Amino acid sequence: MEKKKMNNRRIKTVRSREISWKYMRSLVVFLFLLAIAAAASCGCGRHKDDTTLRWVTYSASGAAMDAKEVIEAANQISREKIGVEVELEFQPSDKMNLMMASGEYYDMVFTSSWLNVFDKRAQAGMYYDITDLVREETPALYESVGKYWDCAKIDGRIMGVPILKDMGASQMFRFNADYFEGKKGMEIPERMDGLQSLEPFLKAYKEDYPDQYPLAMDKGGIPGYLNFVERIAGGIIVIPYEQETELPQAMAIWDCEALMERYRLLHRWYQAGYIHPDAATIDSTDADKSIPVRFGVAWKGYMGYSNPAQWGYNVKVSTYEGPFLSRQSEQGAMFGICAACSRERAAQCLKYIELLSTDRKFRDILAYGIEGKHYRYLENGTVLQTQTGLNRYPANLYTTGSVVNASVASISEEIVSDPDQWKKVFAEYDTDGIYSKTRGFYYDTTRKEDIIAALQAIYSDYATELRTGTSDPDVVIPKMRKRMEAAGFDELLEDVQNQLKEWMERGEDEQAQTESEEP
Amino acid sequence: MNRRRQNQKNRNPRSRRRGARKQDRELMLMSFPALLWYGIFCYLPLFGIFFAFKTFTPRPGESLIRNLFVNSPWAGFRNFTFLFKSSELQGILFNTLFYNLIFLVLGIVIPVMLAVVLAELHSRFFSGLVQMVMILPYFLSWVIVGYCLYGFLATNEGQVNHLLSLFGAAGIQWYQSPQYWRVILILVELWKSSGYAMIIYLCAITAIDRTLYEGAKLDGASFWQRVRFITLPMLRPTIATIFILRTGSLLASDFGLFYQVPMDSNSLQPVTQTLDVYVYKALMTQANFGFSAAASFLQNVVGCILLILTNMVVRRIDEDSSLI
Repeated sequence: MEKKKMNNRRIKTVRSREISWKYMRSLVVFLFLLAIAAAASCGCGRHKDDTTLRWVTYSASGAAMDAKEVIEAANQISREKIGVEVELEFQPSDKMNLMMASGEYYDMVFTSSWLNVFDKRAQAGMYYDITDLVREETPALYESVGKYWDCAKIDGRIMGVPILKDMGASQMFRFNADYFEGKKGMEIPERMDGLQSLEPFLKAYKEDYPDQYPLAMDKGGIPGYLNFVERIAGGIIVIPYEQETELPQAMAIWDCEALMERYRLLHRWYQAGYIHPDAATIDSTDADKSIPVRFGVAWKGYMGYSNPAQWGYNVKVSTYEGPFLSRQSEQGAMFGICAACSRERAAQCLKYIELLSTDRKFRDILAYGIEGKHYRYLENGTVLQTQTGLNRYPANLYTTGSVVNASVASISEEIVSDPDQWKKVFAEYDTDGIYSKTRGFYYDTTRKEDIIAALQAIYSDYATELRTGTSDPDVVIPKMRKRMEAAGFDELLEDVQNQLKEWMERGEDEQAQTESEEP
Repeated sequence: MNRRRQNQKNRNPRSRRRGARKQDRELMLMSFPALLWYGIFCYLPLFGIFFAFKTFTPRPGESLIRNLFVNSPWAGFRNFTFLFKSSELQGILFNTLFYNLIFLVLGIVIPVMLAVVLAELHSRFFSGLVQMVMILPYFLSWVIVGYCLYGFLATNEGQVNHLLSLFGAAGIQWYQSPQYWRVILILVELWKSSGYAMIIYLCAITAIDRTLYEGAKLDGASFWQRVRFITLPMLRPTIATIFILRTGSLLASDFGLFYQVPMDSNSLQPVTQTLDVYVYKALMTQANFGFSAAASFLQNVVGCILLILTNMVVRRIDEDSSLI
């Protein structure tokens, strides 16, 4: 009896030892694998081969369902034409920021004034200097971008490729035409004079429906309501386009009378009940189709707002301001080429961008998908996306290359767009565009980043309620000003003004130089 | 007698050590996965502290480690300055500490009270139901809680204003009226967290020897006397542990509660601005790794010091209840 027990115990200990050894062994193997995996993943994996470019672009919601198939189709053509393929990735903004910060390898990346900020990245030396390369390797691309290269210049050197799209911002009202024109007999002109010209429309609707709020307003405010000024340090400092002084001046928002007037107008509308009382906490008004007046930022001839099937009524669009062209608006979408690329690889990137900018058939693939499946051409040469296309490849044009070189999309068989709209849009920029005088200027934030952070926090304590009209600017802005001045606002403004002055002097020098070069 | 001293007396150095060694090995093996987890996810990323003292300037095509240690110049304490540039630092710190101290006290008092009452319930079904209903809010995300609250407090469509109008009172613009929000935020936080915190105390109470209560009952102790002289003393170590752990996060605040629930309403800023909210607002447009690392470094250092201090104080009062 005793012996049996002892035996049992021995067996148990032996077994447990075996188990622990097994456990140990599997653990060692596991660790080994982990180490290999870690080595492989950070394995400083450069490009796959010499003809495949890693191109990372932006998409808030990740890649479209049929993206893989579409990229494959594009690769077939690009390999034939220029011997280059792409590995196109769609990433949301935080992933892109992380990728840039962690030094992950890429060849081309989406960069702009509003996401993966071009000025900041280019200044830090993240992008390839293509000033000479683009002229030598891809003259057609160089020519097609033309005067818009300016917005990609840092200290006179070209650091990125601007994507040609709507380079300026036309500010628009979007009306329920059935109500205003049909029922009320009001006239909606194609062009209206400023934000305040909306007032009679709001008033008319409010009288008919006293419980409703006629103006679409969420916590973002009117889209692009600051487009009539250049914005520095997140809009705390502004440079109005039109000033009485000879030289452009940077100023605080509270010194910009036009902006203050805008805030006052919005607050008046808020009090009159044109704006929802909770506008400052509403994320989006898209679901409420009954709202008769909305805002938009687009370009002449844009049809995306006018689909009656989407809204349940006919929409009429009227431009009230703009088009405004500034460094920010022109930098709406760009390509950046990685500074770590070799010269050959950078040239390949440029060739690929050139193909996207000059070959319409090729461009339409990445823009709309596969012909016959995702879209088809209408008689006038515009594109009509199929339901499959809308569901399975709803890519944003500006994220995959030149918008101007892609075919124009129509809403339906009946509501067709003008296939030549871009020519007209760019002609309008040349004739009626309101240009910022400081388009080449960018503010180097590095030395004042802590002040900007502190000011930013203060600004965000007031901004939402100011831009939605919720608070009275004459009460709130003095408060904000006091806090901002305590946090070092004047120091920042002085720095901005100094840099602006330096930039203007440099500009005069350059001008003098080019004049002396060309006798 | 003190437990520790008793342990020392029983210790027979030779036999204990030999037995322990074998046991230790097995225990170590068993804890290895957990240690590995802590190593990889808690200690390995600690090098990120360097972000707080570097001006991070990454270069493309180079590894993160190289970018951080070689390519980025030292910044000294410059990354911390943005925290002190704000003229409102006092108010921010006041808010952070004010809410956290209230949560610290109420976050213990209310769950303990609930646990004591719930332990007295005879109906198993009812007690289970109450527990379930009370824990449920804990699993809702702050965004959802924020919208639920909005359903009550919206100016036009909100239930509260609707009720007020039934009594003929004028509606209140809740999201523009900071005076109510200290109370609202505290209520929301307690509603969300109390049920979950209660479970821990409820477990501790069930572990108390029932015979103590029976004996007390036979001696004619009332409910309050039983709570006062049996339950609370027996709960003391649990309460002390949770107290110590919570003081460690006195400077941290629940971002969801202070940012999502008030819907980032500007008017409410004086009562909702805590340290985390400030850091978020200051950095959301800039994405400066150095600044955000500096802010959380400061929070954690202060938290660690507070934790050790509280532990020392607790040990002074009652050695058995302290953690280390």
